Order: sequence, then structure tokens, then C-alpha cells
Amino acid sequence: MQIIINIFISSLIYLFLADGFFIIYYPSKFFPFSHAIIITLGAYFTYLLSNQVCLPLWVAILSSVTLATMLGIFIEKVIYRPLRKHCTSLINLMITSLGLYIVLQNVISIFWSDDTRSIRKSEVSVGNEFFGAYITDTQVAIIISSMVIFISILIFMKYTKIGKSIHAISSNAELCNIFGINSENIVLWATGIGSALAATAGILISLDVDMTPTMGFNLLLYGVVAMIIGGVGSIRGLVFGAVLLATAQHLTAYYIDSKWMDAITYLILIIFLLWKPLGFSGKRLKKVEI
Amino acid sequence: MEYLLHILIFITIYIILAQSLVLVAGFGKMISLSHAGFYGIGAYTTAILSINYGLPFLITLPLAMIISGIIALMISLIALRTVEDYFIICTLGIQIILFSIMNNWMSLTRGPLGIPGIPALSIFGYEFNNKISFLILSIILTSIVFFILRNITKSAFGKVLIALSEDEIYTQSIGKNVYLTKIITFTLGAMIAAIPGVLYAHYISYIDPSSFTVNESIFILSIVIIGGMRNLIGALIAACFLVILPEVLRFIGFSDTIAANIRQIIYGASLVIVMFNPKSLIERVLFKRKMNNIS
Repeated sequence: MQIIINIFISSLIYLFLADGFFIIYYPSKFFPFSHAIIITLGAYFTYLLSNQVCLPLWVAILSSVTLATMLGIFIEKVIYRPLRKHCTSLINLMITSLGLYIVLQNVISIFWSDDTRSIRKSEVSVGNEFFGAYITDTQVAIIISSMVIFISILIFMKYTKIGKSIHAISSNAELCNIFGINSENIVLWATGIGSALAATAGILISLDVDMTPTMGFNLLLYGVVAMIIGGVGSIRGLVFGAVLLATAQHLTAYYIDSKWMDAITYLILIIFLLWKPLGFSGKRLKKVEI
Repeated sequence: MEYLLHILIFITIYIILAQSLVLVAGFGKMISLSHAGFYGIGAYTTAILSINYGLPFLITLPLAMIISGIIALMISLIALRTVEDYFIICTLGIQIILFSIMNNWMSLTRGPLGIPGIPALSIFGYEFNNKISFLILSIILTSIVFFILRNITKSAFGKVLIALSEDEIYTQSIGKNVYLTKIITFTLGAMIAAIPGVLYAHYISYIDPSSFTVNESIFILSIVIIGGMRNLIGALIAACFLVILPEVLRFIGFSDTIAANIRQIIYGASLVIVMFNPKSLIERVLFKRKMNNIS
């Protein structure tokens, strides 16, 4: 029972991460590695505000999500947008984001050192018993918030103007510009929403398992793997991706050894890139057709 | 003096690494993040063979290259079916898998404990146990690699590589086998990357997985990018610059941990700057001719 609960919680976390990444990747079509730092910064800003400045936790969480979102938008506006105007290739954008990630991650390391930090002030509690398994309050918060956010993203993408524009831009950005949808503005919106999601995910995870300056990179890659497995192009596909990834990881940890979890994750990614590059949803992507 | 020689040896190691990646990433346009993995395969092969079986350098070096080549061949058959950003993610995954094999296969690699006591390098009974002789050997190897790579890139094969990095479909249409060319290039790059691994293992005489992480891959890639994607000499200069940099920072008076962070900040920032000016910094300063950018 415990393992089912664990799988359930991790798949929700991966779903959360994949959501945040997907909403940026879908319209802008490039892998922003700098997204990883937004995840980390969400957690570290919360640590700064709640443990070092001593604000109440909910104020700290709200303001750090805002700060991290602002940083995400700032990066998009100051760095990626001018680069995209120069018509540089996707690879150049990716390398730029990798450079940015390195810079910001090391800035965090300098400020807060590489040690593990924890937002929690109280002792770790065993949690509530639930059908013979244990579940902590933080995990309950993760479950509720990720479900709420997933459903609201589904609704947002389907029924609002911006959500529809994101769909439109991902299928053909130039045509959208002709029809009067400003693709750059929509990408900015998407970046904002994605960054807010990433920061929230980072905070929730750090409440559960503490934080280090490099935590964002792995988490981002889990999100990416879930997204690729699920198939870029459908939000429902993300659910399959996240569940499959979480199941594989927990079964590996349970039956083989938890140290092989990362290897299995990327093995799954590579198998999927080969065998089903379009993912579960089967939507076509131009890149993998050659 | 010893300290200076130590830095020079490291520079030669990184020059070979960077130049082999110039072939793969610059000429072949396969931005690979798994290079540190092949570097590690070289180091582990030589360490295990020379400790367990007592094989000399002249046998372990080709064996390390062959093993690295075989693994790279298998990987490239898989990874080269993807392109652009998927290729980067794919090689990143491969790097993490290779690292986790080095870190977790306890019976073979002793995991995070590392392998101590790798014997000094010897050729025909002559032991390279002082730094000067080792430096001379590594300079000779570096120049051989440089010579080979220069000839490859100037040959007909190199021209095909440049052509396919500009336009794959066009290259295919004039009858070149793009897939095969890419596989050969990737494998060759990985084989060459095993050489510095062998040197490193014998020089330090102790290896552990922390030298072959994703960060190392990114570091090698940034040497290539800062040096100018298709520029062997540029890679050489950039390697010197980036290896000397932390030592300079230490002289200025930063503590070790902060110096490491600042070094990473500098090379991360230079990646961003280089992308804004596709002509790289070093090319700007030293080679005042027009070079191709990678786009």
C-alpha cells in the first residue's frame, strides 16, 4: 500500500513539473534549461523569506512564487527574445539557457552554500495513517494542489483566449502573427505561467524532501522525460508519462536498488525516443521525422 | 615548478578532450553532452586493466580507445536517430546512465570509493613517474591527436561533415551517406576522448566517478563553444584559458569553494555572451577572419 501511495505522490509531482515545462516548451519549442533554476529558486526564496527573514510561511510562499515568476519573465524578455529575433537556431537557444542555468545555480551556491537546507522548523512527523500506509501533511498538500493545478491548466488551455492562442502558436507561429496574435506576448504569458508552476513545485518538493542548489536540474529532467513519454502536444498525455515514470522509478527502487533510479529513468527516455518518439498521444512533431 | 607542470598536464588533457569534441560538435553539429562519459570510460578501462591484469600502457591505451569506440558506436546507432534538441537530451541521458554505471556498479568500479593505486605510466620499462617526462608524453599525444584531427577536418570526409552540418537533406541528395558519416564521427570523437582518460588515470593514480559528471561534459562543451565551434586552435586556447582561470582566481584570494563557483559562473556567462555574438571571443581577438557560426 505504501508503494502505491508513493507512486501516486511522485506521479503527481512529475505531472506538476511536466505541466510547468510543457506550457513553456509547447509554444516556444525549445528546452529552456534555465527553467530548472526557477524550480530551485522558488524553494530558496521561500527558505530566505520564511527562515532568514522570519515571515509567516504562506506569505513567504506567495512572494517567492511571485519573485521566481518575475525572474522567469525577465530572462525570457531580456535574453531569449532578442536571441530569437536574431533568428538563431534552437540549439543556440538551448546552449544559452544551459549557460544561464550554470551561472544562476552557482550564484545560489555562493549565497546559500552547497549544503542541504530545510524550510521545516518542526520535527518530521510520521504522518497520518491511511489504509495502512503513512502520508504526511506536506504530501497531502502536494496531492491537493497538483490536482487543482492540473485541472485548472486543462480548463485554461481549452477555454481561455491565451490558452487557445498557445495552441495556435505551437502549431504555426507565423500564421498567428498574420492573424493578429502576437506570438512573443503569448510566449511571455506561457513563460510566466510555467515559471509560477515550477516555483510552486519547487517549494512543495522542498517542503517534502529539503533542498540543494542542484535539485532543479534533476527535477526538470524528470519533468522533461514525463513530457516526452507522454507526447508533446497533449496535456492528457502528461498524465500517462508521469504515472509511467513514477511507477518505473518506484519499482526499480523497490525490487533492484534506489541508486539505479536515474539510470532507469533515462533508459526509458531513450527507449521512448527510439520506439515511440511521438509519445503516447501520437501527435506529430516535425523534429523527429527524419 | 611542480605546480606549473601540473597545470600544463591538465591543459593537455583538456585540449585533447575539447578537440575531439570540436570534431563531433563543431564539424558534425552533434552537440553531445556525453563526452565526459567517454573520458571516464577511458580512465576506468585503463585503471581496471592495469591493476587487475597488469597490462602496460601501450596495450591499455588502444584497448581503452576500442572499448570507448564500441560503446560510442552502440550509443550513436541509437542517439543519432534523433536530431537537434532531442539529440542533446538523449546524450544528456546517456551521460547520466554512464555516470550511474560508474557510480553504482560496485564490483567493477568500486562505486563512489573510486579506484586507488593505479600504477605509473611506463613504456618499454621506462617509467614516467616524474612530471616533466609525463608532460612531454602528453604533449606528444596531444600533437598527434591535433595532427590527425586537422587532417580529418581538411580531408574529403571533413568536407562532407561540414556540408551535412549546414544542410543534411541536401548532403543526402548529392549521394553522401549522412547517417554513416555521423556515426563514424561520433565514434571517432569518443575514441579520441578515451586518450585523455587514460592519461588522467595514470597521472592522478586515483579515479572516482565525480570527475566524469554532467558538469564535466558541459565544461568540455563550453571550451569548444568559447573556442569557436569549428576551430581546433581556438579550442586549444580556450582550454588553456579555462583551466588556468580557477588557479588565477585562487591567487587573487578567493577561497577554493567560491573560486570553483566563480569559474563556473564565468564559463556559463561566456556561453551566453558567445551566443549573442556568434563569432566567438577568442576568434574575435586572435583570428580576425570570418568564421562560420554554428547556426
